[in-house]
Amino acid sequence: MEKTMKKLSENILDKLSLDFLRNQVLKNAYGNDDTVIAKLDPRVLIAWYLFFGLVPWFSSDVIFLAGCFMLVVVTTMLARVAGLVLFLFILGVFSQTGYLFIVSLFFGGNAETIIPLLVLTLKVATVSLASITVFSGLDPDKLSNGLMWFGCPERLSFSISYAYRMLPMLMEEFQNVLLSYRLRGKAPESDGLIGKVKNLIYQVKIIMQSFYPLMLNTAKRSRTTVEALEMRGYRYAATNKDVKKMKLSSLKVTYDDMMFLAISFLWMAIIAVVMSYI
Amino acid sequence: MNVLEIKDLTFTYPGAAAPTLNHVDLNIEKGDFIAIVGNNGCGKSTLCKVMNGLIPHFISGEFEGVVLADGVDTQTVEIGDLAKIVGYVYQDFENQIVRPTVLDDASYACMNYAMPDYLERGRQALKNCGLEGKDDEYIWQLSGGQTHLLALAGAVSLEPKVLILDEPIAQLDPRHADLIYGILKDLNERLGKTIIVIEHHTEYIADYCKHVVLLKEGHVEWMLPTREALDKVETLQASNIFPPQVTLAAYRLRDQGKLAHDLVLPSTITAGKEAFKQLAFVEPKIQERKSQGKETSVSFQNISVSYRTVKGEPKKIYEQMNLDLHKGEKIALIGSNGAGKSTMMKLMTGLVKPNEGEIYLKGLPVHNTKPEQLSKHVSMVYQNPEDMFIKDSIEADIAYAMQVRNVADWQEKTADLLERFRLTNLKDRDGRLLSGGQMRRASLAIGVALRPEILLLDEPTANLDIATRKEIMKTLKDMEDVTDTVMIATHDMQLVSEWAERIIVLYQGRVVADGSRNEIFGNKEVVEKVGIRPPEIFTMGKVLHEDAFCYTVDEFLQSFV
Repeated sequence: MEKTMKKLSENILDKLSLDFLRNQVLKNAYGNDDTVIAKLDPRVLIAWYLFFGLVPWFSSDVIFLAGCFMLVVVTTMLARVAGLVLFLFILGVFSQTGYLFIVSLFFGGNAETIIPLLVLTLKVATVSLASITVFSGLDPDKLSNGLMWFGCPERLSFSISYAYRMLPMLMEEFQNVLLSYRLRGKAPESDGLIGKVKNLIYQVKIIMQSFYPLMLNTAKRSRTTVEALEMRGYRYAATNKDVKKMKLSSLKVTYDDMMFLAISFLWMAIIAVVMSYI
Repeated sequence: MNVLEIKDLTFTYPGAAAPTLNHVDLNIEKGDFIAIVGNNGCGKSTLCKVMNGLIPHFISGEFEGVVLADGVDTQTVEIGDLAKIVGYVYQDFENQIVRPTVLDDASYACMNYAMPDYLERGRQALKNCGLEGKDDEYIWQLSGGQTHLLALAGAVSLEPKVLILDEPIAQLDPRHADLIYGILKDLNERLGKTIIVIEHHTEYIADYCKHVVLLKEGHVEWMLPTREALDKVETLQASNIFPPQVTLAAYRLRDQGKLAHDLVLPSTITAGKEAFKQLAFVEPKIQERKSQGKETSVSFQNISVSYRTVKGEPKKIYEQMNLDLHKGEKIALIGSNGAGKSTMMKLMTGLVKPNEGEIYLKGLPVHNTKPEQLSKHVSMVYQNPEDMFIKDSIEADIAYAMQVRNVADWQEKTADLLERFRLTNLKDRDGRLLSGGQMRRASLAIGVALRPEILLLDEPTANLDIATRKEIMKTLKDMEDVTDTVMIATHDMQLVSEWAERIIVLYQGRVVADGSRNEIFGNKEVVEKVGIRPPEIFTMGKVLHEDAFCYTVDEFLQSFV
């Protein structure tokens, strides 16, 4: 028993480590480029998202919402979203409305109180999962191309894909800076409750302080990057329409994209039929 | 035909008192392979930025004179048009890569200049730079050497006539360094590119370059064929350039009258074999460095470590590794990139936890002790010194650990350390803004501030020019009384053979060899398998006589008379 407890606590501690967080973030950004969702055309997904990210807000039909919800659950699974993101999603939905739902169940709430809460929970959950599918399932580079097609400025899409390239480097550097603080600093004793709280405050403090050196290091790097961008024609491309056309010519709507839309449409049609019968 | 012509160029940075480049005249012929050498701050990088038009187009300043790139005056054309004539690879090359995947980055410039066949050009450039088949890999999956090749491919994709590389091999292990120069040679010979490198490693200059330009205080001292250039030992040393060890040995022997006074100094092992053939080998009385440690200071017991990966199974770094380190040892940890050198150090500081096995540090179980407590006993200096600077001045950085622990007299101790590492007049500067060598010294001072018994240094000489490297080696020797046990992870075999008493060789997560320098460098099997490159003078000695074990020019002179 003692052993399992120890294992369990080690397991939980491990999930709280920075290394784990870093791994999850990287997994989310780079680890799922071979899923069905990642292979779709970004424009199709963004259009799809315009429906599932907006329409649920304006409906209060439980069946319709439940139908949407089921669909986005499937797409989220297809996108193989990292565990941490899902955990945050569940935590988020629960802290927003879910707990009210459960509380009202306990205190003998009837259908009248439960249904509005269920509707709200479903709305939030559906829209969140649709967002997770699109923004987490699609690799940021593709996403930025898609946004550019819809007329977002070149600078925004460059920033997204540049962040995507820099992320692993920055995270590693952040980890190193944080370790410098940990090794050279002195954490307060963590005995007793007060000690534990103090320790936690200290940890949060050094995490925040670690951002300053990180920013300065990044500023130092950017000197080379700016010169390199100049030589590599970044400014030239920003004013040239042909370049945009070339960039976007890689986007192609394929059979799979049509299938994806068709299946989504079909499913919603079935839901509509069910709605009209009940 | 000259592909680059510089006529009476003088350039002054805004606000600088003296010009950085002073009446430079230089003609570079098409198809040449040139090394630019010179002191730190003699204007090498500035000269290169003049050639590709970053000066004066992007970096302003007082510009006088004419620079013709392929017959075109650089002042009259756009920087983008110049990029198609002169390609440039920075010393901090990873910052010039801006796209997430390999092919994307290689073809980025071509796409920006609206070339319809940009992908094809990118692919061709990757092929020319030895990165074929890596099209869709992410940047962070590449090794340091491959990242450098990608930066090169990004420049090559525009098919420039000239390629300029600022210290291409400063951060690389010998295997990758050979790879880079092999590719440059191929670009030079097969595709007729003119190659210009800023280089400190004279062994590589001797092997690959056709001409050498010596830059001194902003003007061109001379431009000579490599052979003649390396013969000018005094002039080079006056500029802090160290000729190949073989050349130095021959120079000193010629000075002593043991070699003909009209001998052209050899610069490669092959030439050395001919030049030194008349020398006799005597068994020298060189004392073998050997570790005398008895008391165990760190003990690794059945350690297995694996890392999470983004995709698939965790990557195993160590499996069932056992190792004891003793008090007072000077240990060098060698092995190629990814062999687990940094991981071993992080295990000792408690930053990485083993999946299995236990580590004891001075009898203290590492897994049950907080890193904060371990830091009294063990300290680690990162490869990238910038990550050690967490305060806004190096004085505050050095003081920080002592200050928060209320170490008695921390103010005096900080002042002592600043003095010892020759940083007193820089104490108010931010560490990031110091030069390479100063930054290194500051990070060492931070590392020893708590007087740890065990000091771990990750690549302390990477990225440094040879003069600065010598300075760091001197600092290491000075530090001997501060710390008991020192472990250095490094690719720098001169450092290993001049400093270490015990060498541990890691290969694919295992300790494959462990012993004194003679035991390691003399073991052909290990040297070949792991890809260790002994110092050039050691190889020279071995070529001349198989019983020779000389690690420095001095030892060589004692062994061959």
